[in-house]
Amino acid sequence: MRRSISQKNRRAAWLGLLPFLLFCLAFEIVPILLLIRDSVFSKAGTLTMSNYKQVLAPLYLKSFWNSIRLSGITALIGTVAGLFIGYSIYRWPSQRIRNLLITLSDVTTNFAGAPLAFAFIIILGSNGLVTQFFLKSLGLKIYPAFSIYSFSGLILAYVYFQLPLMVLLIIPAFGGIKKEWRESATNLGADTSAFWWHIGLPILAPSLIAGFVLLFANAFGAYATAYTLTGSRLSLVTLQIGFTITGEVLHDPGIGQAMAILSLIIMGTSIGIYRLAIIRAERWNRH
Amino acid sequence: MDISRKSKPTASQIIFITLFLLYMIIPIIATYVFSIATRWDRSILPEGYTLQGYRDAMKNPYFLITLKNSLVLSFGSVLVSLLLIVPTVYWVHLKVRLAKPLLDILMILPFGIPGVVLALALVQVYNFAPLNRSPVLLTSAMVVFTMPFMYRSVSNNLEAIDIPTLTEAAQSLGANTIDILVKVIIPNILPGILSGSLLVFATVFAEFTLARLIVGAGFKTFPMLLVEYTRKDGTIAAGLSVISFTIAWIVSLLILWVGGKGMKTSQDVIKAH
Amino acid sequence: MAYLSLTNISKNFENVVAVKDFNLNIEKGQLVSFLGPSGCGKTTTLRMIAGFEIPDTGTIFLDGVDISNIPPNKRDIGMVFQAYALFPNMNVRENIMFGLKMQRRPKDEMIRRAENVLSLIRLENTAKRYPHQLSGGQRQRIALARALAIEPRVLLLDEPLSALDAEVRVVLRGEIRRIQSDLGITTVYVTHDQEEALSISDVVVVMNNGLIEQVGSPQEIYRKPNTRFVATFIGTANEFHGFVSDSSHVQCDEINIYSTRVGKLATGVKVVLLVRPENVEIYDQPPGRDTQNVFEGKIDTITFHGAITRLGINASGKIITADVSISSRAPVTHNQHVWLSFDPEYCQVMAE
Ligand SMILES: Nc1ncnc2c1ncn2[C@@H]1O[C@H](COP(=O)(O)OP(=O)(O)OP(=O)(O)O)[C@@H](O)[C@H]1O
Ligand SMILES: [Mg+2]
Repeated sequence: MRRSISQKNRRAAWLGLLPFLLFCLAFEIVPILLLIRDSVFSKAGTLTMSNYKQVLAPLYLKSFWNSIRLSGITALIGTVAGLFIGYSIYRWPSQRIRNLLITLSDVTTNFAGAPLAFAFIIILGSNGLVTQFFLKSLGLKIYPAFSIYSFSGLILAYVYFQLPLMVLLIIPAFGGIKKEWRESATNLGADTSAFWWHIGLPILAPSLIAGFVLLFANAFGAYATAYTLTGSRLSLVTLQIGFTITGEVLHDPGIGQAMAILSLIIMGTSIGIYRLAIIRAERWNRH
Repeated sequence: MDISRKSKPTASQIIFITLFLLYMIIPIIATYVFSIATRWDRSILPEGYTLQGYRDAMKNPYFLITLKNSLVLSFGSVLVSLLLIVPTVYWVHLKVRLAKPLLDILMILPFGIPGVVLALALVQVYNFAPLNRSPVLLTSAMVVFTMPFMYRSVSNNLEAIDIPTLTEAAQSLGANTIDILVKVIIPNILPGILSGSLLVFATVFAEFTLARLIVGAGFKTFPMLLVEYTRKDGTIAAGLSVISFTIAWIVSLLILWVGGKGMKTSQDVIKAH
Repeated sequence: MAYLSLTNISKNFENVVAVKDFNLNIEKGQLVSFLGPSGCGKTTTLRMIAGFEIPDTGTIFLDGVDISNIPPNKRDIGMVFQAYALFPNMNVRENIMFGLKMQRRPKDEMIRRAENVLSLIRLENTAKRYPHQLSGGQRQRIALARALAIEPRVLLLDEPLSALDAEVRVVLRGEIRRIQSDLGITTVYVTHDQEEALSISDVVVVMNNGLIEQVGSPQEIYRKPNTRFVATFIGTANEFHGFVSDSSHVQCDEINIYSTRVGKLATGVKVVLLVRPENVEIYDQPPGRDTQNVFEGKIDTITFHGAITRLGINASGKIITADVSISSRAPVTHNQHVWLSFDPEYCQVMAE
């Protein structure tokens, strides 16, 4: 008797989740599933890959190439620079300054979007402060070799939020390198570079890979910064999908759906790699 | 020769940190100064200072409208998020622990969905009145988009306190269910609820992608006004950027202050821009 | 000159005196233990030998050469840490070969030596495993093997067993001693476990507050402690406070104890007299007339310790601890009236 009551209770307890589950279904799961369905069905209702074939057109292929390149380059810069800056912060003697720098990273990594883009226009736009300073004081023309409204400019603006994110991700990983490993290595005859090459970097590697893919996904999904800086001058996946929604450029909606699903796959893969790398990173600490 | 800290920073440490600080701070300072500069393209320092940009911004009829819209949207999203997510997380922690893995997946999923994709999916499904292109649909999208922040803050807080023991202790002292919730549980998870709310607020206030793509011109938000002005008037755009930056700073510092315990975990920082 | 010699070593951290006026000579092939309470400077001394800390004053000679200015990665001194010391990203063989790799030894030699040290610690079949796949005891044996692989001139061990279970500790310390004497490697072993130090060492160095209290063989340290600290830190002892009444007697309150160990202490000097529990004899009947230092008492507490039983005997208000082997005498009971005696040979006397 008691058992059946408790089972009933348990079933009733699941009912408590209903509002949330319904909300998720309505605004997260079902729309995405329908998007997947629509991307592989034609208007007549037959299964077709034609939407995906259309993505192979140079314009869209180019946008994938640009997005992947932009995400890859800024993730790489963020990872490498973040490694050195994170280590410098980690080893900074004063706890107060360390906390201050971590707080700064915390805030600035969220400074993506229009305000950030505009800040870069102010300093590096064609009439920007630094641009003008270089031109008038040093006689150096940085335009048109560099332009904040182009690919190179996007790299600079993206690294602004990628770098502090990497710093935040990597600092805890340094804490995982035990002092004993450093001393054992020294004791066995290793100098500083041998320690980092044979032990430090291999131990950090999973964290670095996790950081890299997370930064990659972070950049790949970004929209506002790129939209503010480049408008329609540069073709990126998120910008193209945006155009299919606003109808600014005449598009077949099917192409937008296919691009959206492909970016979900890219994001999903990145996050999958991220999870695997994190599991791997935690293994070192299972001592 | 060891990994522990020395009493003085090394030269390379100082160089890296200085470059980092310059990179992180110059754009922000430049925006603040630019917003009050008269002219600043012929000299290192501005030629004069004025608040004209702010006056012009406020004269724009859209200034107050967009500010109001963004505040309504932000507070609305926080409210829905609180009503929907906090009770669910609490319920799962207390009664249906089996559902925790499901919750983990559902709550973290939005991290993997770019804003444009979410916007596309929602716009296509809800293409009928009254939901289509409505602030209500936008609020729902914002709640989904910021779900991971609210979830992590509240869930971490719940993990940190031992709810069953607290509940039993309160029960043994004669408290009823409502008493327990109001006097014991909520005060204990208030820091998590607060920092989650602040994160949701800041994110929604600054969110441009969903607002532009889901409702567009029909319900103009503050970031949309800002983007518009970046193409029209630099000084006003700078003024609006300063307002955004300042709100972001204040909210971040509030979160740190509320959190007290220390830094957010790196997971909390992940954010689809 | 001794093989490893530390002369006038001192080390301060900010305002903490970690090691002071440390002088020690270690002969080739000896196993020397540093024994002392937490914070007494054992680790600091060991780290100065390894080169991880620089002494404020003094010199360290190894094989007649001053090594004070040689960096730690060039000293050719092996070290085994308390825990966490294996590199987690390398398997057992790679860990063991790491030191040899740093010396750029040929590959086949590295593999051969790795096999040798693995068989030395009897873990041949773990070569391919990673540290997280090993038990704590296995990890420490691998750490030992790794330190031995480079054939260091001196082996340093800093509480290598303190993170392990009691049972594993006993097995492993025997193993360490066996390997150490097989290889004849000069070894310094830090521990705060006196049983460990006494059971495996050639020489024990008892330290307290950064100073050496006594250096001697385990037997000397145990039987003839030079200071009250050593006597009470090692084993247990009954303490009697009093003064020297003549060249072979100490007066403690009402009782007068005969001791052959008063030595050169002058009459009237305030002293403490120490008797270990195993040197207290117990009798059911009054012992014969020729027995010295006989007192009467009542059994107050009885604690069973396995091989021995520890008695607390109330002798006119003072509790005296005595260890007896129950199997060799009639059973004792609570409140039983007994006689006890101290052998004058084992009554340590030292100035307060
Ligand atoms: N790096 C350091 N900075 C400041 N003080 C230190 C440092 N290392 C050791 N000390 C201090 O020096 C003294 C001796 O420390 P040491 O580590 O040598 O003790 P120990 O005998 O090894 O103790 P334990 O048995 O606890 O390991 C202690 O008071 C300790 O606090
Ligand atoms: Mg120590």
